Amino acid sequence: MKTLVALVAALAVAAPLAAQTRRPTEPSVSIRGFFVASEEQFAAKTTFAGVLGSSLGSFVGGGAQVVFRGGVYVEVSGSRFQKSGQRGFFSNGQTFSLGIPLTASLMPIEASVGYRFRLQKHRTIIPYVAAGVGQYHYKETSTGSAPGEDVDATHLGYLANTGVEFRVHPLVGLSIDAQYTHIPGIFGLGGISKDAGESDLGGYAARFKVIVGR
Amino acid sequence: MARLQKVFFTCALALLAVYSAHGHGQTMGAASGVVVDYFAPPAIDHGLLVRFSRAPDSAEAQMRSAIRLGNSALDRVGIGGAHYVAGKLIVKFRAGASSASKASALSVASASGSTQPPYANFDVMTIDPGIDAEAAAQALSARPDVEYAQPAYRVHTEFKPNDTFYSKQWNLPDIDMERAWDIQPAAGSNIVVAVLDTGVAYTNVTMKYHASAFRVDATGQVTTDPTATLYPALGDLTLPFVAATELGPSSRFVSPHDFIWDTNLPIDLDGHGTHVSGTIGQLTNNGIGTAGVAFNVKIMPVKVIDSDWDDIFGAPNFGTDDVVARGVRYAADNGAKVINMSIGRTGPAAPAIEDAIKYAVGKGAFVAIAAGNDYEDGNPTEAIADIASRVQGAVAVGAVDQSHARAYYSSTGSYVELAAPGGSFRGFPSEGGILQQTLDLELVETFTSPPSGFVAPRFDALAYFFFIGTSQATPHVSGVAAMLMQQGITDPGTVEAALEKFATDRGAVGRDNEFGFGEINARNTLRGLGLAK
Repeated sequence: MKTLVALVAALAVAAPLAAQTRRPTEPSVSIRGFFVASEEQFAAKTTFAGVLGSSLGSFVGGGAQVVFRGGVYVEVSGSRFQKSGQRGFFSNGQTFSLGIPLTASLMPIEASVGYRFRLQKHRTIIPYVAAGVGQYHYKETSTGSAPGEDVDATHLGYLANTGVEFRVHPLVGLSIDAQYTHIPGIFGLGGISKDAGESDLGGYAARFKVIVGR
Repeated sequence: MARLQKVFFTCALALLAVYSAHGHGQTMGAASGVVVDYFAPPAIDHGLLVRFSRAPDSAEAQMRSAIRLGNSALDRVGIGGAHYVAGKLIVKFRAGASSASKASALSVASASGSTQPPYANFDVMTIDPGIDAEAAAQALSARPDVEYAQPAYRVHTEFKPNDTFYSKQWNLPDIDMERAWDIQPAAGSNIVVAVLDTGVAYTNVTMKYHASAFRVDATGQVTTDPTATLYPALGDLTLPFVAATELGPSSRFVSPHDFIWDTNLPIDLDGHGTHVSGTIGQLTNNGIGTAGVAFNVKIMPVKVIDSDWDDIFGAPNFGTDDVVARGVRYAADNGAKVINMSIGRTGPAAPAIEDAIKYAVGKGAFVAIAAGNDYEDGNPTEAIADIASRVQGAVAVGAVDQSHARAYYSSTGSYVELAAPGGSFRGFPSEGGILQQTLDLELVETFTSPPSGFVAPRFDALAYFFFIGTSQATPHVSGVAAMLMQQGITDPGTVEAALEKFATDRGAVGRDNEFGFGEINARNTLRGLGLAK
């Protein structure tokens, strides 16, 4: 977290310089589409590892950005994670599997506002930072569930990210970033997450984007 | 040809048996408990019967108890009313105790000898029956080379049967068993459940016994008073035993052993062990009779409780602490993963059994113990159930009735960890008990009739009876534990944790002394939890 704060601060310092280096050929507003793939380290490590076998999860999705000439941009994205595991129970700090198939999925729809920093010497390298909110739709289904026993819940969460975009073509960019999400209200109320004392469905993700547009 | 040879062999054996029986009939104390043939006529099924003879407060129940105790001239009443067998002590010496110090201990106890029987980590000392075994044990316990010493306290079953098909088995839906079977249709197929009890009707065999006379006084107590009612000697008896048809084929039974008769033939002369086995694993979904919890498990019949007929027939051993402890060790050493102990005894602590239970849990066996039926008899601490509170992987099981209330008889205390359906006839119709197939008690308990109706028992007829008691509650827990093990939860401590975690809270919120952590819920236990729910 300290590293993240330091990076955001450094990038913010660079902003005034970048702001003065707008090129007159840049459009005032550009709309870009992107494909995103990410690998998330869930905060609820014990819960995910115990049931799904790993506390890491892969998301894929896509979205759009509206980038303003000044560097501010707005992003809307949607992605999806799904993995299967086994139901179990938590006892003495350990999760025991019971062999009953379970599938969990998480579908975030996220909106964020960010700032892209123009570096004078490296115009094809664009650091950025953003923060926003998301609506997170979590589903959990198990074999043999009775009505009402599966989980289908949606809750608001928060996000912040920072990364770097590499312009590899006038119309194509690649970016990598780190994103933190905090999703309360779904975990920690029942199931193994409650027993393990884990109430955040969010975590830290490394994201990779392929961006099409100027 | 082979069939002809078999018939000839059987007839020859029968003739030999008849000849032998005649010869022994002239002598008092003739050999009893001898196998005549591993064959018996087909079982007679008398269907559903109602019989209240074993209800806790019935005269018949008192008489059954009296016969067990009265047929032992060695029976003594010790501290707190606990019965023990005179003439022996259970002694565990500390590691490294020299033979000189053991000899000295023998002298202190005025013992004539000491042996360590199979499946025991303790010695059994032979002492003069006239010696106060509790005092002798106390003296030995004070020695630095002795870990513990105790009399051979007698144990008993923990059921209170009444006596009369699936619609009548309220107990199984009560623990959400139907939906648990949806989760695990195989119902525990690879797990061995040891039933430490009065034996099990698991095989067809013809036995020869000798029954001596006994007298019963006006209060139903067995006595030597010559003026008391005489139940005549039945002499030499050749009795066919049948396997309970609803317990399945002989391949289902593994490593049977009888510690009462010192044989590998733990047949049931009482009906209790067969009934308990039925609740654990009665054949299910076969269109006949009743259902059982884990209906595909293997059953290991281990006889450690003497019944009335065992005593009348002169069995060499009684169900005492040393016998039970050896039974527990035997079960663990022979692959049992669940040990059902629908057994009870009050009185002083049972260190030999506690050692054995710790040994069994250490070998990966989960142990379920009846919490006791003595609530209305002063609610004394149950010595064997109390062990469960000190061993993670062993649980003491109380009983609930059809309304989910604590059954009126179910003992309470800090050692009660779980509850399960044990049934009750108080405030409920005659169908308030737990229904299973067992021996036809009408033909077994002939000693509850007046002497004129006292005839040889029959063990070749079966019927369905309602029983009540923590003995009936315990096999529910054993069955679900076996199913949980089949799902991969093999550590006994973890099995206990799961059963307690998913129990349905009854009575006061949280753990309490009536229900422990609550009434077991088979479906929730086997289903476990997801990430968020």
